[in-house]
Amino acid sequence: MLKFYILRSSRDIFGHLILILLPILLISFFSYINSSYNIGAITPVLTIGFALTFQIYGSAISFETLGQDFLSPIRNRLLATPVNPVKVVLSILFSGIIVSFLQTFVILMFSITILDIKFNNLFLILLVMLISVIFNQLFGTLILFLSKNVKTANSVTTLYGIAAPILTGLYFPLPDNIITNLFEKYLTPMALAQTAILGIIDNNLKNFIIGIIPLIILSVILFLLIKLLSKKVIL
Amino acid sequence: MILKIENVIKRFNNHLALDYLSLEVNKGEVIGLLGPNGAGKTTCIKSIVGLLSVDEGEIIVFDMKQDGKNQKIKSKIGFVTQEITIYEDMTAKENLAFFGSLYGLKKTELESRINEVAKIIGLEDRLNDRPKHFSGGMQRRLNIGCSILHNPELLIMDEPTVGIDPQSRNYILDFVKKIAAEGTTVIYTSHYIEEVEAVASRIYIMDQGHVIASGTLKELIARIKGDSHILVDVKIAREDKKDELLALTDVKEVVIKDNQYHIIVPGGISIIDKIVSILAPLGIVNVNSKQPTLEDVFLTLTGKQLRDEVN
Repeated sequence: MLKFYILRSSRDIFGHLILILLPILLISFFSYINSSYNIGAITPVLTIGFALTFQIYGSAISFETLGQDFLSPIRNRLLATPVNPVKVVLSILFSGIIVSFLQTFVILMFSITILDIKFNNLFLILLVMLISVIFNQLFGTLILFLSKNVKTANSVTTLYGIAAPILTGLYFPLPDNIITNLFEKYLTPMALAQTAILGIIDNNLKNFIIGIIPLIILSVILFLLIKLLSKKVIL
Repeated sequence: MILKIENVIKRFNNHLALDYLSLEVNKGEVIGLLGPNGAGKTTCIKSIVGLLSVDEGEIIVFDMKQDGKNQKIKSKIGFVTQEITIYEDMTAKENLAFFGSLYGLKKTELESRINEVAKIIGLEDRLNDRPKHFSGGMQRRLNIGCSILHNPELLIMDEPTVGIDPQSRNYILDFVKKIAAEGTTVIYTSHYIEEVEAVASRIYIMDQGHVIASGTLKELIARIKGDSHILVDVKIAREDKKDELLALTDVKEVVIKDNQYHIIVPGGISIIDKIVSILAPLGIVNVNSKQPTLEDVFLTLTGKQLRDEVN
Protein backbone atom coordinates (compact mmCIF):
# COMPACT_ATOMS: atom_id res chain seq x y z
CA MET A 1 0.00 0.00 0.00
CA LEU A 2 2.83 2.38 0.92
CA LYS A 3 4.47 1.63 -2.43
CA PHE A 4 1.25 2.60 -4.23
CA TYR A 5 0.94 5.89 -2.38
CA ILE A 6 4.61 6.79 -2.96
CA LEU A 7 4.06 6.01 -6.64
CA ARG A 8 0.96 8.22 -6.65
CA SER A 9 2.76 11.10 -4.96
CA SER A 10 5.69 10.79 -7.35
CA ARG A 11 3.37 11.24 -10.38
CA ASP A 12 2.78 14.90 -9.55
CA ILE A 13 5.59 16.25 -11.70
CA PHE A 14 4.31 19.84 -11.56
CA GLY A 15 4.23 19.67 -7.76
CA HIS A 16 7.80 18.39 -7.64
CA LEU A 17 8.96 21.14 -9.97
CA ILE A 18 7.50 23.77 -7.65
CA LEU A 19 8.71 22.16 -4.43
CA ILE A 20 12.25 21.41 -5.66
CA LEU A 21 13.12 23.78 -8.52
CA LEU A 22 11.58 26.92 -7.03
CA PRO A 23 13.54 26.80 -3.72
CA ILE A 24 16.71 25.95 -5.66
CA LEU A 25 16.16 28.99 -7.89
CA LEU A 26 15.41 31.20 -4.88
CA ILE A 27 18.49 29.99 -2.98
CA SER A 28 20.64 30.65 -6.07
CA PHE A 29 19.04 34.06 -6.67
CA PHE A 30 19.36 35.30 -3.08
CA SER A 31 22.90 33.89 -2.85
CA TYR A 32 23.79 35.79 -6.03
CA ILE A 33 22.39 39.14 -4.88
CA ASN A 34 24.15 38.68 -1.55
CA SER A 35 27.38 37.55 -3.17
CA SER A 36 29.15 40.75 -2.16
CA TYR A 37 28.82 39.50 1.42
CA ASN A 38 30.27 36.29 2.75
CA ILE A 39 28.44 33.67 0.61
CA GLY A 40 29.75 30.88 2.80
CA ALA A 41 27.79 32.31 5.72
CA ILE A 42 24.56 33.36 3.95
CA THR A 43 23.84 30.45 1.60
CA PRO A 44 23.55 27.80 4.36
CA VAL A 45 20.97 30.02 6.12
CA LEU A 46 19.10 30.53 2.84
CA THR A 47 19.23 26.80 2.10
CA ILE A 48 17.83 25.91 5.50
CA GLY A 49 15.22 28.69 5.32
CA PHE A 50 13.90 27.83 1.87
CA ALA A 51 14.02 24.08 2.49
CA LEU A 52 11.91 24.60 5.63
CA THR A 53 9.55 27.00 3.82
CA PHE A 54 8.82 24.61 0.99
CA GLN A 55 8.24 21.77 3.44
CA ILE A 56 5.18 23.76 4.53
CA TYR A 57 3.84 23.78 0.97
CA GLY A 58 4.83 20.10 0.73
CA SER A 59 2.25 19.30 3.40
CA ALA A 60 -0.23 19.25 0.49
CA ILE A 61 1.22 15.88 -0.56
CA SER A 62 -0.53 14.17 2.35
CA PHE A 63 -3.68 16.22 2.76
CA GLU A 64 -4.53 16.35 -0.93
CA THR A 65 -4.21 12.56 -1.18
CA LEU A 66 -6.26 12.15 2.00
CA GLY A 67 -8.87 14.50 0.56
CA GLN A 68 -9.00 12.56 -2.72
CA ASP A 69 -9.40 9.28 -0.87
CA PHE A 70 -11.59 10.11 2.12
CA LEU A 71 -13.54 13.21 1.12
CA SER A 72 -14.71 11.76 -2.20
CA PRO A 73 -16.71 8.70 -3.31
CA ILE A 74 -13.46 6.67 -3.30
CA ARG A 75 -13.94 6.61 0.48
CA ASN A 76 -16.83 4.14 0.09
CA ARG A 77 -14.75 1.80 -2.02
CA LEU A 78 -11.84 1.94 0.44
CA LEU A 79 -14.07 1.37 3.46
CA ALA A 80 -15.77 -1.56 1.71
CA THR A 81 -12.43 -3.40 1.61
CA PRO A 82 -11.17 -5.47 4.53
CA VAL A 83 -8.23 -3.09 5.08
CA ASN A 84 -8.22 -1.05 8.29
CA PRO A 85 -8.72 2.58 7.16
CA VAL A 86 -6.22 3.78 9.79
CA LYS A 87 -3.61 1.76 7.89
CA VAL A 88 -4.54 3.65 4.71
CA VAL A 89 -4.24 7.03 6.48
CA LEU A 90 -0.86 6.05 7.93
CA SER A 91 0.37 4.90 4.50
CA ILE A 92 -0.65 8.24 3.00
CA LEU A 93 1.11 10.12 5.80
CA PHE A 94 4.25 8.00 5.50
CA SER A 95 4.40 8.44 1.74
CA GLY A 96 3.90 12.21 2.15
CA ILE A 97 6.72 12.32 4.70
CA ILE A 98 9.06 10.29 2.50
CA VAL A 99 8.40 12.32 -0.65
CA SER A 100 8.62 15.69 1.13
CA PHE A 101 11.82 14.63 2.90
CA LEU A 102 13.35 13.55 -0.44
CA GLN A 103 12.51 16.99 -1.84
CA THR A 104 14.29 18.61 1.10
CA PHE A 105 17.23 16.24 0.62
CA VAL A 106 17.55 17.25 -3.06
CA ILE A 107 17.57 20.95 -2.06
CA LEU A 108 20.32 20.36 0.50
CA MET A 109 22.32 18.25 -1.96
CA PHE A 110 22.05 21.05 -4.52
CA SER A 111 23.57 23.53 -2.09
CA ILE A 112 26.29 21.08 -1.07
CA THR A 113 27.28 19.94 -4.55
CA ILE A 114 26.57 22.98 -6.76
CA LEU A 115 26.95 25.92 -4.39
CA ASP A 116 29.76 24.15 -2.54
CA ILE A 117 28.27 24.71 0.90
CA LYS A 118 29.57 22.64 3.76
CA PHE A 119 27.29 21.56 6.60
CA ASN A 120 28.89 20.12 9.68
CA ASN A 121 26.91 17.23 11.15
CA LEU A 122 24.69 16.78 8.08
CA PHE A 123 23.06 13.71 9.60
CA LEU A 124 21.71 15.71 12.54
CA ILE A 125 20.51 18.48 10.21
CA LEU A 126 18.65 15.90 8.12
CA LEU A 127 17.12 14.53 11.31
CA VAL A 128 15.71 17.94 12.26
CA MET A 129 14.53 18.38 8.66
CA LEU A 130 12.74 15.04 8.95
CA ILE A 131 11.01 16.06 12.18
CA SER A 132 10.01 19.35 10.55
CA VAL A 133 8.62 17.43 7.54
CA ILE A 134 6.63 15.21 9.92
CA PHE A 135 5.28 18.27 11.71
CA ASN A 136 4.21 19.93 8.45
CA GLN A 137 2.53 16.81 7.03
CA LEU A 138 0.64 16.37 10.32
CA PHE A 139 -0.26 20.06 10.43
CA GLY A 140 -1.79 19.99 6.93
CA THR A 141 -3.65 16.79 7.77
CA LEU A 142 -5.05 18.27 10.97
CA ILE A 143 -6.34 21.32 9.10
CA LEU A 144 -7.95 19.00 6.54
CA PHE A 145 -9.60 16.89 9.25
CA LEU A 146 -10.86 19.98 11.05
CA SER A 147 -12.22 21.69 7.94
CA LYS A 148 -13.07 18.57 5.89
CA ASN A 149 -12.14 20.70 2.91
CA VAL A 150 -8.97 20.46 0.79
CA LYS A 151 -9.25 24.09 -0.37
CA THR A 152 -9.36 25.33 3.23
CA ALA A 153 -6.33 23.21 4.13
CA ASN A 154 -4.53 24.62 1.10
CA SER A 155 -5.40 28.19 2.07
CA VAL A 156 -4.32 27.78 5.71
CA THR A 157 -1.00 26.09 4.88
CA THR A 158 -0.29 28.62 2.12
CA LEU A 159 -0.93 31.47 4.56
CA TYR A 160 1.38 29.82 7.09
CA GLY A 161 3.93 29.20 4.31
CA ILE A 162 3.91 32.92 3.51
CA ALA A 163 3.95 34.19 7.10
CA ALA A 164 6.42 31.79 8.72
CA PRO A 165 9.50 32.61 6.56
CA ILE A 166 8.79 36.34 6.88
CA LEU A 167 8.63 35.98 10.68
CA THR A 168 11.95 34.09 10.68
CA GLY A 169 13.55 36.91 8.69
CA LEU A 170 14.23 34.81 5.60
CA TYR A 171 13.29 37.41 2.97
CA PHE A 172 14.43 40.57 4.75
CA PRO A 173 15.91 41.49 8.16
CA LEU A 174 13.33 42.12 10.87
CA PRO A 175 13.53 45.09 13.29
CA ASP A 176 15.62 44.22 16.32
CA ASN A 177 13.20 44.04 19.25
CA ILE A 178 12.10 41.40 21.72
CA ILE A 179 8.88 40.44 19.85
CA THR A 180 10.47 39.99 16.44
CA ASN A 181 13.39 38.15 18.05
CA LEU A 182 10.96 35.74 19.70
CA PHE A 183 9.16 35.15 16.40
CA GLU A 184 12.45 34.79 14.56
CA LYS A 185 13.66 32.04 16.85
CA TYR A 186 10.85 30.35 18.73
CA LEU A 187 7.27 31.33 18.02
CA THR A 188 6.57 29.39 14.84
CA PRO A 189 7.33 25.71 14.20
CA MET A 190 9.49 26.77 11.26
CA ALA A 191 11.46 29.10 13.56
CA LEU A 192 11.97 26.25 16.03
CA ALA A 193 13.32 23.97 13.27
CA GLN A 194 15.59 26.76 12.02
CA THR A 195 16.84 27.49 15.54
CA ALA A 196 17.64 23.78 16.02
CA ILE A 197 19.49 23.54 12.68
CA LEU A 198 21.42 26.79 13.18
CA GLY A 199 22.29 25.43 16.64
CA ILE A 200 23.81 22.36 14.94
CA ILE A 201 25.69 24.52 12.44
CA ASP A 202 27.00 26.82 15.22
CA ASN A 203 27.72 23.89 17.57
CA ASN A 204 25.24 25.44 19.98
CA LEU A 205 23.65 22.51 21.85
CA LYS A 206 21.33 24.79 23.81
CA ASN A 207 19.70 26.22 20.66
CA PHE A 208 19.46 22.77 19.14
CA ILE A 209 17.55 21.47 22.17
CA ILE A 210 15.38 24.59 22.49
CA GLY A 211 14.37 24.14 18.85
CA ILE A 212 13.98 20.39 18.57
CA ILE A 213 12.16 19.49 21.80
CA PRO A 214 9.10 21.75 21.29
CA LEU A 215 8.95 20.67 17.65
CA ILE A 216 8.80 17.01 18.71
CA ILE A 217 6.19 17.78 21.37
CA LEU A 218 4.07 19.72 18.84
CA SER A 219 4.32 16.83 16.37
CA VAL A 220 3.17 14.35 19.03
CA ILE A 221 0.24 16.61 19.95
CA LEU A 222 -0.74 16.91 16.27
CA PHE A 223 -0.54 13.13 15.87
CA LEU A 224 -2.79 12.57 18.87
CA LEU A 225 -5.30 15.14 17.63
CA ILE A 226 -5.34 13.53 14.19
CA LYS A 227 -5.83 10.11 15.75
CA LEU A 228 -8.77 11.50 17.69
CA LEU A 229 -10.33 13.18 14.65
CA SER A 230 -9.60 10.47 12.09
CA LYS A 231 -12.41 8.18 13.27
CA LYS A 232 -14.93 11.00 12.99
CA VAL A 233 -13.72 12.11 9.58
CA ILE A 234 -13.07 8.75 7.95
CA LEU A 235 -15.70 6.43 9.36
CA MET B 1 -28.68 -18.09 2.22
CA ILE B 2 -26.08 -15.40 1.45
CA LEU B 3 -27.88 -12.40 2.88
CA LYS B 4 -30.76 -11.85 5.25
CA ILE B 5 -32.02 -8.40 6.19
CA GLU B 6 -34.59 -8.46 8.94
CA ASN B 7 -36.73 -5.52 10.04
CA VAL B 8 -33.96 -3.00 9.58
CA ILE B 9 -34.52 0.61 10.54
CA LYS B 10 -32.09 3.38 9.63
CA ARG B 11 -32.71 7.01 10.44
CA PHE B 12 -30.82 10.12 9.33
CA ASN B 13 -31.91 12.70 11.89
CA ASN B 14 -35.70 12.80 11.40
CA HIS B 15 -35.66 11.08 8.03
CA LEU B 16 -36.51 7.38 8.03
CA ALA B 17 -34.31 5.94 5.27
CA LEU B 18 -35.01 2.25 5.96
CA ASP B 19 -38.36 1.41 7.46
CA TYR B 20 -38.57 -2.20 8.69
CA LEU B 21 -36.74 -3.38 5.59
CA SER B 22 -36.58 -7.14 5.15
CA LEU B 23 -35.16 -9.10 2.25
CA GLU B 24 -33.31 -12.31 1.52
CA VAL B 25 -30.78 -13.31 -1.09
CA ASN B 26 -29.89 -16.89 -1.90
CA LYS B 27 -26.63 -18.15 -3.31
CA GLY B 28 -26.33 -17.77 -7.08
CA GLU B 29 -29.24 -15.35 -7.45
CA VAL B 30 -29.12 -12.08 -9.36
CA ILE B 31 -31.28 -9.71 -7.37
CA GLY B 32 -32.60 -6.60 -9.07
CA LEU B 33 -33.20 -3.77 -6.63
CA LEU B 34 -35.57 -1.17 -8.03
CA GLY B 35 -36.87 1.99 -6.51
CA PRO B 36 -37.20 5.71 -7.11
CA ASN B 37 -34.69 8.18 -5.67
CA GLY B 38 -35.03 8.26 -1.91
CA ALA B 39 -36.48 4.74 -1.82
CA GLY B 40 -33.56 3.63 0.34
CA LYS B 41 -31.65 1.50 -2.22
CA THR B 42 -28.26 3.10 -1.61
CA THR B 43 -28.78 3.12 2.18
CA CYS B 44 -29.69 -0.56 1.94
CA ILE B 45 -26.57 -1.34 -0.11
CA LYS B 46 -24.29 0.68 2.16
CA SER B 47 -25.70 -1.16 5.16
CA ILE B 48 -25.05 -4.54 3.52
CA VAL B 49 -21.46 -3.55 2.68
CA GLY B 50 -20.94 -2.26 6.21
CA LEU B 51 -20.52 1.42 5.40
CA LEU B 52 -23.54 2.35 7.51
CA SER B 53 -24.67 0.95 10.83
CA VAL B 54 -28.38 0.30 11.28
CA ASP B 55 -30.48 1.60 14.18
CA GLU B 56 -32.65 -1.47 14.60
CA GLY B 57 -32.93 -4.90 13.05
CA GLU B 58 -30.23 -7.18 11.79
CA ILE B 59 -28.20 -7.79 8.65
CA ILE B 60 -26.74 -11.27 8.34
CA VAL B 61 -24.20 -11.77 5.56
CA PHE B 62 -22.61 -15.19 5.02
CA ASP B 63 -24.14 -16.27 8.35
CA MET B 64 -22.28 -13.46 10.15
CA LYS B 65 -23.73 -10.29 11.64
CA GLN B 66 -22.76 -7.21 9.65
CA ASP B 67 -21.41 -4.65 12.10
CA GLY B 68 -19.16 -2.81 9.65
CA LYS B 69 -16.01 -4.18 11.25
CA ASN B 70 -16.17 -7.80 10.17
CA GLN B 71 -13.27 -8.17 7.74
CA LYS B 72 -14.35 -11.72 6.78
CA ILE B 73 -17.60 -10.33 5.37
CA LYS B 74 -15.83 -7.49 3.59
CA SER B 75 -13.33 -9.86 1.98
CA LYS B 76 -16.19 -11.85 0.39
CA ILE B 77 -18.06 -8.83 -1.02
CA GLY B 78 -17.25 -6.89 -4.17
CA PHE B 79 -18.73 -3.39 -4.25
CA VAL B 80 -19.19 -1.54 -7.53
CA THR B 81 -19.86 2.05 -6.55
CA GLN B 82 -22.34 4.26 -8.34
CA GLU B 83 -19.61 6.84 -8.96
CA ILE B 84 -16.45 5.97 -10.85
CA THR B 85 -14.02 5.41 -8.00
CA ILE B 86 -10.69 4.79 -9.66
CA TYR B 87 -7.48 6.80 -9.70
CA GLU B 88 -7.23 8.71 -12.96
CA ASP B 89 -3.52 9.43 -12.59
CA MET B 90 -2.62 5.75 -12.13
CA THR B 91 -2.66 3.21 -14.98
CA ALA B 92 -5.46 0.66 -15.27
CA LYS B 93 -3.01 -2.02 -14.11
CA GLU B 94 -1.92 0.03 -11.09
CA ASN B 95 -5.56 0.59 -10.16
CA LEU B 96 -6.31 -3.12 -10.37
CA ALA B 97 -3.13 -3.95 -8.44
CA PHE B 98 -3.93 -1.48 -5.66
CA PHE B 99 -7.51 -2.60 -5.09
CA GLY B 100 -6.47 -6.25 -5.40
CA SER B 101 -3.80 -5.71 -2.76
CA LEU B 102 -6.41 -4.25 -0.39
CA TYR B 103 -8.12 -7.65 -0.51
CA GLY B 104 -4.87 -9.39 0.36
CA LEU B 105 -3.84 -10.58 -3.11
CA LYS B 106 -0.08 -10.87 -3.46
CA LYS B 107 2.46 -10.93 -6.30
CA THR B 108 1.85 -14.01 -8.50
CA GLU B 109 -1.83 -14.41 -7.66
CA LEU B 110 -2.40 -10.67 -8.09
CA GLU B 111 -0.59 -10.62 -11.42
CA SER B 112 -2.61 -13.54 -12.77
CA ARG B 113 -5.90 -12.10 -11.50
CA ILE B 114 -5.11 -8.71 -13.10
CA ASN B 115 -4.67 -10.46 -16.47
CA GLU B 116 -7.87 -12.48 -16.00
CA VAL B 117 -9.92 -9.48 -14.95
CA ALA B 118 -8.47 -7.32 -17.74
CA LYS B 119 -9.81 -9.88 -20.23
CA ILE B 120 -13.20 -10.01 -18.51
CA ILE B 121 -13.60 -6.23 -18.66
CA GLY B 122 -12.09 -6.00 -22.15
CA LEU B 123 -9.16 -3.79 -21.22
CA GLU B 124 -6.29 -6.22 -21.74
CA ASP B 125 -4.74 -3.95 -24.39
CA ARG B 126 -5.13 -0.81 -22.27
CA LEU B 127 -3.64 -1.97 -18.98
CA ASN B 128 -0.74 0.48 -19.13
CA ASP B 129 -2.90 3.47 -20.02
CA ARG B 130 -4.30 5.94 -17.53
CA PRO B 131 -8.09 6.02 -17.12
CA LYS B 132 -8.20 9.77 -17.76
CA HIS B 133 -7.71 8.84 -21.43
CA PHE B 134 -10.54 6.25 -21.31
CA SER B 135 -14.12 6.65 -22.50
CA GLY B 136 -16.88 6.68 -19.87
CA GLY B 137 -17.71 3.07 -20.67
CA MET B 138 -14.11 1.93 -20.28
CA GLN B 139 -13.84 3.75 -16.95
CA ARG B 140 -17.05 2.01 -15.81
CA ARG B 141 -15.59 -1.36 -16.80
CA LEU B 142 -12.39 -0.63 -14.90
CA ASN B 143 -14.55 0.44 -11.95
CA ILE B 144 -16.13 -3.03 -12.04
CA GLY B 145 -12.78 -4.74 -12.57
CA CYS B 146 -11.41 -3.20 -9.38
CA SER B 147 -14.27 -4.85 -7.48
CA ILE B 148 -13.88 -8.41 -8.74
CA LEU B 149 -10.15 -9.09 -8.43
CA HIS B 150 -10.66 -11.06 -5.24
CA ASN B 151 -13.37 -13.26 -6.77
CA PRO B 152 -16.14 -12.03 -4.46
CA GLU B 153 -18.94 -14.42 -3.55
CA LEU B 154 -21.38 -11.51 -3.45
CA LEU B 155 -21.07 -8.67 -5.96
CA ILE B 156 -23.07 -5.53 -5.23
CA MET B 157 -23.48 -3.21 -8.20
CA ASP B 158 -24.95 0.21 -7.50
CA GLU B 159 -26.14 1.74 -10.78
CA PRO B 160 -23.13 0.41 -12.71
CA THR B 161 -24.21 1.71 -16.12
CA VAL B 162 -24.93 5.38 -15.41
CA GLY B 163 -23.86 7.62 -18.27
CA ILE B 164 -22.39 5.09 -20.65
CA ASP B 165 -22.91 4.11 -24.28
CA PRO B 166 -25.22 1.20 -25.24
CA GLN B 167 -22.26 -0.96 -26.29
CA SER B 168 -20.59 -0.71 -22.89
CA ARG B 169 -23.97 -1.22 -21.20
CA ASN B 170 -24.48 -4.48 -23.10
CA TYR B 171 -20.93 -5.49 -22.19
CA ILE B 172 -21.69 -4.97 -18.51
CA LEU B 173 -25.02 -6.81 -18.70
CA ASP B 174 -23.33 -9.76 -20.43
CA PHE B 175 -20.68 -9.68 -17.73
CA VAL B 176 -23.32 -9.88 -14.98
CA LYS B 177 -24.99 -12.84 -16.70
CA LYS B 178 -21.62 -14.55 -17.09
CA ILE B 179 -20.47 -14.22 -13.48
CA ALA B 180 -23.92 -15.21 -12.27
CA ALA B 181 -23.68 -18.34 -14.40
CA GLU B 182 -20.33 -19.04 -12.73
CA GLY B 183 -22.01 -18.92 -9.31
CA THR B 184 -21.45 -15.37 -8.08
CA THR B 185 -24.43 -13.86 -6.28
CA VAL B 186 -25.24 -10.37 -7.55
CA ILE B 187 -27.29 -7.50 -6.20
CA TYR B 188 -27.93 -5.06 -9.02
CA THR B 189 -29.58 -1.66 -8.69
CA SER B 190 -30.52 0.42 -11.69
CA HIS B 191 -32.85 3.13 -12.88
CA TYR B 192 -33.13 1.22 -16.12
CA ILE B 193 -35.90 -1.33 -15.74
CA GLU B 194 -34.91 -3.14 -18.94
CA GLU B 195 -31.48 -3.81 -17.41
CA VAL B 196 -33.04 -5.36 -14.33
CA GLU B 197 -35.41 -7.32 -16.56
CA ALA B 198 -32.42 -8.58 -18.53
CA VAL B 199 -30.24 -9.78 -15.65
CA ALA B 200 -32.32 -10.33 -12.51
CA SER B 201 -33.58 -13.73 -11.46
CA ARG B 202 -35.60 -12.05 -8.71
CA ILE B 203 -36.63 -8.45 -8.18
CA TYR B 204 -37.25 -6.35 -5.09
CA ILE B 205 -39.15 -3.10 -5.53
CA MET B 206 -38.45 -0.58 -2.78
CA ASP B 207 -40.23 2.62 -1.89
CA GLN B 208 -40.01 4.84 1.18
CA GLY B 209 -37.49 2.60 2.89
CA HIS B 210 -39.15 -0.76 2.58
CA VAL B 211 -39.89 -3.51 0.10
CA ILE B 212 -43.30 -3.09 -1.51
CA ALA B 213 -43.10 -6.08 -3.83
CA SER B 214 -40.77 -8.91 -4.68
CA GLY B 215 -40.67 -11.91 -6.95
CA THR B 216 -39.60 -13.02 -10.37
CA LEU B 217 -40.46 -10.86 -13.34
CA LYS B 218 -43.36 -13.18 -14.20
CA GLU B 219 -44.71 -13.11 -10.66
CA LEU B 220 -44.59 -9.34 -10.48
CA ILE B 221 -46.32 -8.85 -13.82
CA ALA B 222 -48.96 -11.40 -12.81
CA ARG B 223 -49.76 -9.20 -9.80
CA ILE B 224 -51.01 -6.40 -12.04
CA LYS B 225 -52.23 -8.46 -14.95
CA GLY B 226 -55.80 -7.48 -14.17
CA ASP B 227 -55.03 -3.82 -14.83
CA SER B 228 -55.39 -2.03 -18.15
CA HIS B 229 -52.84 0.52 -19.26
CA ILE B 230 -54.18 3.30 -21.46
CA LEU B 231 -51.77 5.66 -23.17
CA VAL B 232 -53.15 8.95 -24.45
CA ASP B 233 -50.92 11.31 -26.44
CA VAL B 234 -52.01 14.94 -26.46
CA LYS B 235 -50.59 18.11 -27.98
CA ILE B 236 -49.75 19.74 -24.65
CA ALA B 237 -50.28 17.86 -21.38
CA ARG B 238 -51.50 19.71 -18.29
CA GLU B 239 -51.21 18.79 -14.61
CA ASP B 240 -54.78 19.83 -13.76
CA LYS B 241 -56.13 17.22 -16.16
CA LYS B 242 -54.24 14.57 -14.22
CA ASP B 243 -56.19 15.55 -11.13
CA GLU B 244 -59.44 15.36 -13.08
CA LEU B 245 -58.55 11.88 -14.29
CA LEU B 246 -57.62 10.74 -10.78
CA ALA B 247 -60.98 11.98 -9.58
CA LEU B 248 -62.65 9.30 -11.71
CA THR B 249 -63.53 6.41 -9.40
CA ASP B 250 -61.94 3.67 -11.54
CA VAL B 251 -58.60 5.37 -12.27
CA LYS B 252 -55.82 3.83 -10.14
CA GLU B 253 -52.86 5.92 -11.30
CA VAL B 254 -51.94 8.62 -13.82
CA VAL B 255 -48.44 9.60 -14.91
CA ILE B 256 -47.61 12.33 -17.41
CA LYS B 257 -44.50 11.95 -19.54
CA ASP B 258 -43.65 13.91 -22.68
CA ASN B 259 -47.24 14.94 -23.45
CA GLN B 260 -48.46 11.41 -22.84
CA TYR B 261 -50.91 10.39 -20.12
CA HIS B 262 -50.30 6.86 -18.80
CA ILE B 263 -53.53 5.82 -17.09
CA ILE B 264 -53.97 2.62 -15.11
CA VAL B 265 -57.49 1.29 -14.64
CA PRO B 266 -58.81 -2.07 -13.43
CA GLY B 267 -59.27 -4.59 -16.27
CA GLY B 268 -62.74 -4.92 -17.72
CA ILE B 269 -63.76 -1.35 -16.84
CA SER B 270 -64.94 0.69 -19.78
CA ILE B 271 -63.78 4.18 -19.02
CA ILE B 272 -62.16 5.29 -22.24
CA ASP B 273 -65.03 7.64 -23.20
CA LYS B 274 -64.68 9.51 -19.89
CA ILE B 275 -60.90 9.79 -20.34
CA VAL B 276 -61.29 11.06 -23.88
CA SER B 277 -63.81 13.66 -22.84
CA ILE B 278 -61.48 14.99 -20.12
CA LEU B 279 -58.43 15.10 -22.38
CA ALA B 280 -60.15 16.25 -25.60
CA PRO B 281 -59.55 19.98 -24.88
CA LEU B 282 -55.78 19.26 -24.94
CA GLY B 283 -55.95 17.91 -28.50
CA ILE B 284 -55.75 14.13 -28.49
CA VAL B 285 -53.17 12.81 -30.93
CA ASN B 286 -53.35 9.11 -30.20
CA VAL B 287 -55.02 6.60 -27.82
CA ASN B 288 -53.46 3.20 -27.14
CA SER B 289 -53.54 0.33 -24.67
CA LYS B 290 -50.68 -2.07 -23.88
CA GLN B 291 -49.64 -5.24 -22.08
CA PRO B 292 -48.17 -4.65 -18.60
CA THR B 293 -44.39 -4.64 -18.22
CA LEU B 294 -42.11 -4.35 -15.19
CA GLU B 295 -42.25 -0.60 -15.70
CA ASP B 296 -46.03 -0.81 -15.27
CA VAL B 297 -45.60 -2.91 -12.13
CA PHE B 298 -43.38 -0.22 -10.74
CA LEU B 299 -45.79 2.49 -11.80
CA THR B 300 -48.77 0.73 -10.26
CA LEU B 301 -47.01 0.05 -6.98
CA THR B 302 -45.19 3.33 -6.47
CA GLY B 303 -47.18 5.79 -8.57
CA LYS B 304 -43.88 6.95 -10.05
CA GLN B 305 -42.06 6.38 -13.29
CA LEU B 306 -38.58 5.16 -12.55
CA ARG B 307 -36.77 6.83 -15.44
CA ASP B 308 -38.14 10.27 -14.57
CA GLU B 309 -36.32 10.12 -11.27
CA VAL B 310 -32.94 10.46 -12.93
CA ASN B 311 -33.91 13.45 -15.04
